[in-house]
Amino acid sequence: MPNGLFLDYVDPWINWAWLVSHVAVFSDALLQHITLTLIAIGVGLVISLPMGIVAHRWRALRNPVLTLFGIFYTIPSIALFAILIPYTGLSTLTAEIGLVGYAVLILTRNVVVGLEAVPRDVLDAADGMGYRPLARLVRVELPLALPAIFAGIRIATVTTIGLVTITAVIGLGGLGQLILQGLVENFHTPLLVATLLSIVLALVADLALAGTQRFALPWSRTA
Amino acid sequence: MYRIPRFGWLLAVLVAALTVAVACGGNSPTTPAKGTITIAGFKFSEGSVLAELYGQALQHDGYTVNFKLNLGSREVVGPAIKSKQVDLYIGYAATDLEYYNNAAGEASGDVTATTAKLNSRLQPLGLQALTPSAAVDQNAFAVTKATSDKYNLKKLSDVAAVGGQLVLGAGPECPQRPFCQPGLERVYGIHFKSFKALDTDGPLTRAALKNNDIQVGLVFSSDADLQSLGLVVLQDDKHLENADNVVPIVRTPVATSEVKKVLNAVSAGLTTIDLVTLNSQVELQHMDPDVVTKTYLTQHNYFS
Repeated sequence: MPNGLFLDYVDPWINWAWLVSHVAVFSDALLQHITLTLIAIGVGLVISLPMGIVAHRWRALRNPVLTLFGIFYTIPSIALFAILIPYTGLSTLTAEIGLVGYAVLILTRNVVVGLEAVPRDVLDAADGMGYRPLARLVRVELPLALPAIFAGIRIATVTTIGLVTITAVIGLGGLGQLILQGLVENFHTPLLVATLLSIVLALVADLALAGTQRFALPWSRTA
Repeated sequence: MYRIPRFGWLLAVLVAALTVAVACGGNSPTTPAKGTITIAGFKFSEGSVLAELYGQALQHDGYTVNFKLNLGSREVVGPAIKSKQVDLYIGYAATDLEYYNNAAGEASGDVTATTAKLNSRLQPLGLQALTPSAAVDQNAFAVTKATSDKYNLKKLSDVAAVGGQLVLGAGPECPQRPFCQPGLERVYGIHFKSFKALDTDGPLTRAALKNNDIQVGLVFSSDADLQSLGLVVLQDDKHLENADNVVPIVRTPVATSEVKKVLNAVSAGLTTIDLVTLNSQVELQHMDPDVVTKTYLTQHNYFS
């Protein structure tokens, strides 16, 4: 940069030369972003499905469980990471404890809501056909709750793709690292490109999930 | 009976995706040559520059260096080094002292005293601060080259005689802060013509300096754009500002005489001007921190 011209210097929206020489940085960040999101949603589901079923089966647990996850949701991420670092380090585990914790609230709530929406007469009919409780849950209630659960997965996935960026403070963060670099250095290229990639990733994930739902759960198609 | 189709494969896909994701998350360990040292860098470009600078010097000496860059503030790095997640980070004497003493206000403009106090706080934690560098990143007051030439200003004590003709510009909190306007009056006897509330070390201050709306502006001593803007930082010759000298903070078991020798050599060579140059290469020219520091270390014969 020429001397004395900093104030007159306008950073281009996209610095193509820099972008081309840093493609690997973006693909690594994108891959990390996808990995962190997949783990969060996967582990979140493994926790949320039983939790939601339990909270549905035993009504007294419903509000305590949802309130507990709700409280977790209010913990500022930076505070959560500071508490966790002595135990779990600057690791994927630390990041995932936060991300899974935040995803679980959305997922569990949707499992509960889905199960609660199963019509009473369907359950009566299933009972009348001689279904035992577990078989009724697996073959009647869960399939009917799946559209709501899927809606939860879609919301949680899109939310998590946004939330992954906060794990940048412990050196992860996927595209969040590049967004931060753009902010710190007042450099448009990483800021714009990483933000755009994050948006595209969220849209693609949402569309893919919607497609999967349509294909795998034909009974959830409306209209 | 109505059968629910394709429920099983959906589960299988989810489980498969999860397995792949978990498998990808693992780190493959590498065999250490001289031992592995994990170095943390703060989340701003100077943090990456400093971590790369000291880390590459250790690498050249034969250590395997694990870089953990772009970590959040001390609230992340502090717990990480206390719990042995990282072995080393490059801190700032006064700021780190005030972090480890819970803002007891012990830091001063005296770098030796500040580092000694920092070490007394670090010792019970199994940490130590090495010899601080001459390079500092602290509050500083800058004038344009033209102002510097006109009034022959090199250090803050030069300003006292001509302060009545100069306007000071800084963030709106400056007239209340002991390290800003009141400190300049008390320590240097500078009484400015007036004060203009702008931003703290931001674009407004720079624009005002350029337009000569203010003649003295608050900046940070290692700001990337000081050289390109043609600003002259006035030397804090009476040590008004806290001594935020660059200083490696290392876990005592890792601080062997060899590690200390390598780190101290980097500290000894580094100046604030070097830091400004490196920061400007990263922040203004968007070069990568590992590249600019490698060039610096090569040019200054650390690799020979």
